[in-house]
Amino acid sequence: MKENGCDQRGVDLTNVNPSHIVTVESFSVDIMRSLVAHLEASTKFEHFIYREAELDAVWSLTAFYLLNEADMEKRKAVELLHLCVHRAHDLVAKGQPEAAAAILRAFC
Amino acid sequence: MLSREENELLTRTGPGRPAGEYFRCFWLPALLGSEVPTPDCAPVRVRLLGENLIAFRDSEGRVGLVDEFCPHRRASLFWGRNEECGLRCVYHGWKYDYNGTCVDMPNEPGRHGFENRVRITAYPTREYGGLVWAYLGPREREPELPKLEWARVPDSHRYISKRLQDTNYLQAVEGGIDSSHSNFLHASVDAFLLKDSYVENVKNSGNLRAKYHALDKAPKFTVKETDYGLQIAVRRDAEENKYYWRLTQFLLPSHTMIPSEENLSIHGHCWVPRDDETCWVWTISWNPDGPLSKEDSETIRNEDFVHAQVDPSTFRPLRNKDNEYLIDRDLQRTTSMTGIHGFAAQDQALQESMGPLVDRTLERLGTSDTAIIAARRRLLQEIRGLSEDSQPFAASHGDIYWVRSASMLLDRGIAFEEGSKELTKAEV
Repeated sequence: MKENGCDQRGVDLTNVNPSHIVTVESFSVDIMRSLVAHLEASTKFEHFIYREAELDAVWSLTAFYLLNEADMEKRKAVELLHLCVHRAHDLVAKGQPEAAAAILRAFC
Repeated sequence: MLSREENELLTRTGPGRPAGEYFRCFWLPALLGSEVPTPDCAPVRVRLLGENLIAFRDSEGRVGLVDEFCPHRRASLFWGRNEECGLRCVYHGWKYDYNGTCVDMPNEPGRHGFENRVRITAYPTREYGGLVWAYLGPREREPELPKLEWARVPDSHRYISKRLQDTNYLQAVEGGIDSSHSNFLHASVDAFLLKDSYVENVKNSGNLRAKYHALDKAPKFTVKETDYGLQIAVRRDAEENKYYWRLTQFLLPSHTMIPSEENLSIHGHCWVPRDDETCWVWTISWNPDGPLSKEDSETIRNEDFVHAQVDPSTFRPLRNKDNEYLIDRDLQRTTSMTGIHGFAAQDQALQESMGPLVDRTLERLGTSDTAIIAARRRLLQEIRGLSEDSQPFAASHGDIYWVRSASMLLDRGIAFEEGSKELTKAEV
């Protein structure tokens, strides 16, 4: 049985299990790809909660990054991600994971 | 993260507010039966969902719960005389029965039946599980009492305490379902630092919680939506081919059950809004299989675990923010992560430190906050549903509360829903 928390790195992103919570260690392209794949596979309350938790984690990480990064160029890209993650989060909370995934695809 | 609007929606429970209307769909613990012990005893102040009320037990043993203020001149009925099936305002003598009907108005000339047309707000009450429960909603929609196991065991099987907490109810509920804090807030220094001697000790002990908490600090969360609220399952790696699961119950609108261990008492809470910045914390320990032994009772009543010692008239904990919860900084350096004695005081200290009503737009959550996120969404779903006239299912189905929390070792191939089925059934 596939369990929540198993290592998501290197998994086939066309066949993800939406009951897994992705381990969010950073906001790298790999992680964002995994999040988008999980959003696309999500269909019910429990899945939406896991997606919301993941997006909360990315939002927190980007917020901490922005707090400490002075380089304007680097900030610009992360500011956009921070904003989009916020929007995606609110869409998941409304039960619209597909729309959330569409917003985040630009960061994959 | 929550928006400001969502935070307001969840936390404001006064009359007319969406969460206030939601709580007014349920029976809520209002006071201990022992606060109104005998017919015609002294009336008691009760503040609930932002309303100031007075409880009194009339001459026939019925508990009335009425507006605190006499409609005549707005004097408090707390000073009233509880006499012959009614509470008499001692200012001008108006008297009310347990239903709120004015039954005497001695200062009015003529007595043309004016008194029969005067009523004060009165809410229905029920005595159940050692408590007086109140229903503050519309009379025509009176709900069912929740069939909670602790409320249905004999009095001898149960211990209940009540304490006042200076925070919004939601902060308290969130503490009740947040499994990840116990590895830190309630830990000893040795457990937190995973000292060799501690790990050796727990490895060989029968205390599975301590053992697996020490061996796996990064648990995995699973939530399951239910008719009554949520099941929150936390999984830790155990021996080969096994997982250690701990299952918390969140029952609408604001009951929780701590993961229970086989053959030990079960513990739970109900967090009832007093107003938007304070709540009543009801803590219940029960043994479904028999009376609490003297030893159990003593262990439960001391402050080591979930119950707190309180001022018997105000229910304010003796360890409180004014005395910094009697923190012992030496103890914190050497023994306990907080230096504060008892889980209840530890929880209360940290929850109150966040302010009476935390601004959740400022939070930075992670995936270990899954249970909190789920509880907020579940409540928002219910509160918004009610605003669209969808009555809460749980309020009219008391039977669905017939559940327990659990903890268990399961083969890795078994889903927790399957493995916990028997353990989570309540039995009396």
